[in-house]
Amino acid sequence: MRVRLEQIFKSFGLVEVVKGLDLEVQDGEFLVLLGASGSGKTTALRMIAGLESVTSGRILIGERDVTNVLPKYRDVAMVFQSYALYPHMTVFANIAYPLMVRKEPKAEIEARVTDVARQVQLDTLLARYPRQLSGGQRQRVALARAMIRRPAAFLMDEPLSNLDAKLRGYMRAELKHMQHQLGITTIYVTHDQIEAMTLAHRVALLEKGVVQQLDTPANIYNAPANLFVAGFIGSPPMNFLEGSLADGRFSLVGGSFALAERAPNSAAVAGVRPEDCSVTEPGAGKIAGEVYTVELMGDHTLVTCRIGGASMIVKADKAFSRHEGETIGVDFADRTVHLFDTASGLRIG
Amino acid sequence: MTQTADRRGLAQRLFEPDRLESLAVVPKVGTYVVLGFWTLVVLFPLYWVLVTSFKIEVQVDSGPYFLPFVDFTPSLDAWNFMLFKNNTMGAYLNSIIVALSSTLLALLIGSLASYALVRIRFQVKLAAVVTFIALLIAVIIAVAALGVPWAAATAVAIALFLLSLGTFVRRFNAAVGNNDIEFWMISNRIMPPIVAVLPIYVMFQHLGLLDTQVALISTYTGVNLPIVVWLTRDFFAGIPLDLEESAEIDGASKFRVFFTIALPLVRSGLAATFMLVLILTWNEFLLALFLTNARAQTMPVLVAAQNTTRGPQWWYMSVLIVIMIAPVIVIAGFLQKHIARGLLVGAVKG
Repeated sequence: MRVRLEQIFKSFGLVEVVKGLDLEVQDGEFLVLLGASGSGKTTALRMIAGLESVTSGRILIGERDVTNVLPKYRDVAMVFQSYALYPHMTVFANIAYPLMVRKEPKAEIEARVTDVARQVQLDTLLARYPRQLSGGQRQRVALARAMIRRPAAFLMDEPLSNLDAKLRGYMRAELKHMQHQLGITTIYVTHDQIEAMTLAHRVALLEKGVVQQLDTPANIYNAPANLFVAGFIGSPPMNFLEGSLADGRFSLVGGSFALAERAPNSAAVAGVRPEDCSVTEPGAGKIAGEVYTVELMGDHTLVTCRIGGASMIVKADKAFSRHEGETIGVDFADRTVHLFDTASGLRIG
Repeated sequence: MTQTADRRGLAQRLFEPDRLESLAVVPKVGTYVVLGFWTLVVLFPLYWVLVTSFKIEVQVDSGPYFLPFVDFTPSLDAWNFMLFKNNTMGAYLNSIIVALSSTLLALLIGSLASYALVRIRFQVKLAAVVTFIALLIAVIIAVAALGVPWAAATAVAIALFLLSLGTFVRRFNAAVGNNDIEFWMISNRIMPPIVAVLPIYVMFQHLGLLDTQVALISTYTGVNLPIVVWLTRDFFAGIPLDLEESAEIDGASKFRVFFTIALPLVRSGLAATFMLVLILTWNEFLLALFLTNARAQTMPVLVAAQNTTRGPQWWYMSVLIVIMIAPVIVIAGFLQKHIARGLLVGAVKG
């Protein structure tokens, strides 16, 4: 079902953690709330679940205003970072709990638990207790418990962050597949940009309780709305060069390069992603510099270059062979340069 | 093993352990000597009571005799008298009923209270509390000293209290929080019980409930509530909030969360609390002495009653003590595994 947040504010005492959040999640959409710790993303999710009251604003699930409705009447299911499995109940009882609370007939509960357990490959583990399961299995019990009710919306609070890297990648794919199959609206909180990029239909990037950009992963990556978004998304992060733009040239401390067809600006930041840059022979390329460090990452090499007073990271081939201190040139195409206004941080071209 | 021969000096070998997790010779011997001595201190009185229960008056007076069949010929006289001729079983039954029901009641009410204190934030206006107490005192003075009918006085006081809530109480911001409520509860236990015995006696006298099990059960429940609240609050506070929030999203009411999630998770803590409160009520003497007479008499009072004008009847007393100790040992044995078990394993990431 559709989930709508209208002008949500939330304060804890004097601290305002969510400031005027407006969100509209479409039916069946997978929306990721992305942000660093303290950005208000978890608080926002907990307000949708009803675990936290709102200071002002409205929350709608479907067409129903649930702002002042208890969690149990909101018809949402939540997966916690800790999984929150009931340790004194078997896997079966854990998954069946939402149905048992609703006093569904016993046969119906059995059938549905068996069905859901098969979907998440837990059917052989139903008699075990959570403490006898591995991390990935516990994660799947938590998912099954959320799925069994067919809720109006799934709320997920960093559900993969307790898994090791390999399992996380696997569960990420499983989760995406499952959400696609069930077609249930999902709001997913994470600080991990890879999860956000891979899972989401749309990403809302939060910082200090304010949405910085709400768009598809591709748009957020290719056209960041401001300096914060540009710096947050991408690993290694975008290179920022501070300077000014006049007569088709961008000048920074210790150098300048041609940048055509952009409006002049006396204080601007030019952003280039490391993968859009390349290292060239000295004298060639857009701007001159020298190699500062070289880090071989396996399938590619990260080269940090000094450009006048600034530094740039270039994502180079794994066969990169230059050494620290060598003079080089750095090249990148005009169209790959993102231009931001220094004062406001907003994108200007 | 010749290559790893111990090259340490004698003193080192005596005082330093071979491995970190073991004890050296001297500390080991010292530890067991102290433990052995303490075991003797604990066990000997029990043995003595058991042995004495099989003696007759002469054997006690001319003693001490330590070993049955060697020092003296054991007799079942005291057991015979206490179990069949005296009304011991009545007192025994009273003790069991009173101890069990008051412990269970205190545990139920107390754990509900401590759960609420842990999970719900209370903010009672201090002005409301003060007004309530002031009106209570006023009612007592009006009824006792001025002869106002109690129904009229109470009605007026309730009306005034409700009126004050909407008016002047609102002007004050100072509030009583959860910590204050908890301290108030434990402060009830700080006061020596002897202070409260007479008012409680008078109260039950007026209610016509003296010498009844109801009087003992309700008094013991009230007296032990603070202990239950204070012991169980930390157990409840230790439950990860995620579990309860998850249950609430899953559709459970607060009571359901309490009974299906919180309570089972603090089972070990509850078992320990149950044991402690049970022993406290089982052994309680002072209140039982005042509130009971014959019908509702409990075991501690009966034991004390064996100190007669002819001097203490040690053999009878010993019989009573033996049958008093037995059930507590059995229950402790049953609950032991619960008390020692960590149940929260596997609740959250691990």
